[in-house]
Amino acid sequence: MKIAQIILSPIIAFVVGMFFLGLARKIIARIHWRYGPPLTQPFIDIIKLFNQTSVSHGGLFNLGIILSLSGSIVLVLFLPIGNFHPLSGSGGMLVILYLMLFGPLGIALSGGEAANPNTSIGISRKLILALGYEAPLLFILLAAMIHNNTISIVEIVRAQQEAGWALLTFPMVVPGIAYLLILPAILGKRPFELVGAAQEISSGPMVEFGGKRLAMVNIQHAFSMFIGIALFVNLFLGGSSNPGFFIIKMLVVFIVEVLINAVFPRMRIEQAFRYLWRWPTLVSFAGLVLVMIMGR
Amino acid sequence: MSIELVLIIAFGGAFLTYFFGKISYKLRDVFTVLVSCVLPVLIAYLYGKDLENTFYVGFLGLPLLLRLNTLSWFFALTVSAVGALSIIFSLSYIRGRERTDFYYLMMLLVNAGMLGIVLSGDFVTFYIFWEIMSWSAFLLISYNRGPALAAGMKYIVMSIVGSIGMIIGILSLYTRFGTLIFSELAVVIASSSPGYILSLLLLFFVAFGIKNAVWPFHTWLPPAHSEAPSPFSAVLSGVLVRMGMYGFLLFFYGIVGLKSFLGLGRGLLSFHYILAWIGAINIVIPTFIAMLQNDSKRLLAWHGVGQGGYMVLGTAIGTPLGLIGGTFHIVNHTSYIALLFLVVGAVEYRTNGVRDLNSLGGLIKRMPITFIGALVGACGLIGVPLTNGFVSKWLIYKTLILERYPFLAFAAFIGSWGTILSLYKFLHNMFLGQLPEKYKDLKKAPFTMQLPILVFSLVIIVFGIIPGIPLKIINTIGTSFRFESLQITIWGIASETGTLNTINIFVAIVAACIIVWLVSKAGKRSIPVNQADSYAAGASVPADKYHYTVDFYNPLYRMITPFLRDFVDEFYMKLAQWTRGLGNGVRRVYTGDVGNYVIYILLFLALLIFVQVKWSIW
Repeated sequence: MKIAQIILSPIIAFVVGMFFLGLARKIIARIHWRYGPPLTQPFIDIIKLFNQTSVSHGGLFNLGIILSLSGSIVLVLFLPIGNFHPLSGSGGMLVILYLMLFGPLGIALSGGEAANPNTSIGISRKLILALGYEAPLLFILLAAMIHNNTISIVEIVRAQQEAGWALLTFPMVVPGIAYLLILPAILGKRPFELVGAAQEISSGPMVEFGGKRLAMVNIQHAFSMFIGIALFVNLFLGGSSNPGFFIIKMLVVFIVEVLINAVFPRMRIEQAFRYLWRWPTLVSFAGLVLVMIMGR
Repeated sequence: MSIELVLIIAFGGAFLTYFFGKISYKLRDVFTVLVSCVLPVLIAYLYGKDLENTFYVGFLGLPLLLRLNTLSWFFALTVSAVGALSIIFSLSYIRGRERTDFYYLMMLLVNAGMLGIVLSGDFVTFYIFWEIMSWSAFLLISYNRGPALAAGMKYIVMSIVGSIGMIIGILSLYTRFGTLIFSELAVVIASSSPGYILSLLLLFFVAFGIKNAVWPFHTWLPPAHSEAPSPFSAVLSGVLVRMGMYGFLLFFYGIVGLKSFLGLGRGLLSFHYILAWIGAINIVIPTFIAMLQNDSKRLLAWHGVGQGGYMVLGTAIGTPLGLIGGTFHIVNHTSYIALLFLVVGAVEYRTNGVRDLNSLGGLIKRMPITFIGALVGACGLIGVPLTNGFVSKWLIYKTLILERYPFLAFAAFIGSWGTILSLYKFLHNMFLGQLPEKYKDLKKAPFTMQLPILVFSLVIIVFGIIPGIPLKIINTIGTSFRFESLQITIWGIASETGTLNTINIFVAIVAACIIVWLVSKAGKRSIPVNQADSYAAGASVPADKYHYTVDFYNPLYRMITPFLRDFVDEFYMKLAQWTRGLGNGVRRVYTGDVGNYVIYILLFLALLIFVQVKWSIW
């Protein structure tokens, strides 16, 4: 059973993540009064890219992207997807927090060796942005862990199945709102789409990737999108007892994010950082204080 | 007998090295390496022994003791191993400089002094070795002259303040209890009043806190670390500074005892809680200051201060998990900070002393082994899973969350994120990006430099995947302090409130990497290109400096710099300036000219006569 889950979880994450990427393009096209590409376009792109020649800038350039993608795959094993949580007993939420590092760090190392200033600027922005959203995210995760007095995400999901969605109960609603405020930054969607800003820095960290490496970066992007939303669903929307309902919940959150993405312009990095360390941080801090006061 | 043997070899070796150096430098090099490598072997052989013996009676009527238990064995092994590796590193680093005999003498003497500290069984012996260590460290810090002299002066002044604090504490202990032996003190101290214990704790907090660079006593550390020779920076940041942590553990838990230590004060105002907050401050501020540094060694030095915060936080919280996490973090910190300083040393050696992060770049192509060391060390410092830093931080976070200290946990977490930013800058500016024209023909680091780098990298990864080996030993230390024993397994820690299984994580990541690699293999082959062949929107890529390094996090710097002034350092410098002004004022009166003194005496006599004549009071 566990082995089946270990094999199935990354496949679910891959398919759902890629499907979301296709869906996003479709929704945005419809908002623009275009027809848009078919939903399977991301899959087609990946197969196409794997058959194209690419360039390589050295050993770390090849290795970093492999590390990044495999970190994301392992992370999926720690996240409950419905009742699938094959490895979450090996370290709990703290491991999830740290495994979230592998994705950006691998791409940063790989891009670093490409010796292109556009890459470096993009990475610098990504790390600043990550520091920006990490402060509220840590308050949120701490509030969730303190509220349930556990470091296991499975326990947090189980507690919600008894007491109802955390987003609908006081005081967990406060960190929940903070999470919604930072979710676009975690997913790298507008108004926080400044890491790969195509018009300014030629898609930033991705500029030197081509062929199969670009395909892997795209897959990694799909995975990280899946992870960001799945974490929210687990922490605040009560997870689910089976993967099907879980994906439906994720879909709702994702569509909301796509709509926000479609109507907002892009922030500058200073604006983004200032915003993230002001409102979401304040709200999540207040949430943690409330949790501390209300609990015990 | 064997403890004495260790110290005799350590000290005797140090002095013999100096004399061998006068005969031939080859003989000296061989002998130095031999002495420094024998010590860890000898200490490892003493594992599991519990010894205590008096080696000298009659110093002011006090017996002087040496003792060995798990705590001191643990520290002694770390000290001697780091000493040996940094001496091997020194072989090529220091060759050709002046006063090399003196350098080796001092390196071995510092090593011997630290071994003496951890092996001593009473406060007199402890103090003697403490001073040997402090003074030889001073001579090594100022080895490079120039700005190093000022750094050394700053260090020794603060170190002396710490020593004074310790000696007052020792005198007070002696007058009250009549003994200075650790094991006897631990028994009698329990009966004294909390107020007395608190004053003792404060005195020893100053003494050990200055050495440990705990905020607000951290200001000596950044200049001292960046100006010292790199192999010694590794020793300094890795083990010498952590002698302060040894002092904390010894005094808080070994002598005062768990119960009295946690019983001081109540609630938010208890001693250990305030100490934990000092640890938290110590994590956040230095880590963010580190982000602003452009000197590679100064950046690491600030992280040395910051990581000390995790140790203080872990040990001060007073839970078994916290103690084990904090103590494990000491040895982990030793391995990766020493590694990073050696990496900087290797780069410095090949580029003729360049430490400026803005003028390097692309060195991965010329120094691949050194880069691997830097990468592993950086991952350890950040606490990436599968490195030892992750395990110790996991333990500290877990205890903070389950004991309901979320704000302390937040400080610890956000510190880790600051670490990521500055360490990526460190890696990127030195090793990644475009290789400048002038470093085209750079050679690899010599073998004597690569060997310590590889050994440290291996330690970081092995302890990260099978942390059970060191954790078992640390658990024994915990139980000797009357903490309850934890369920340690080879792959981490098992408990109902949360298990850590590093081997599962390791297997999962390796399997995922293999699968991804196979998938990537299946794609079409890529063509290797050189660094000039990159996308520049149609323009040609400039050959020499095309690397985004200066002000790497510029938007962030602009926002946080105003908040990151080192107020403590400014205060100390003002104090120093004020003292100097006072000294100058005194010197104006106290000129050293006999004529002036005669005039002072005459004036004073005249005053006396005048007083007598006028009021006739005598």
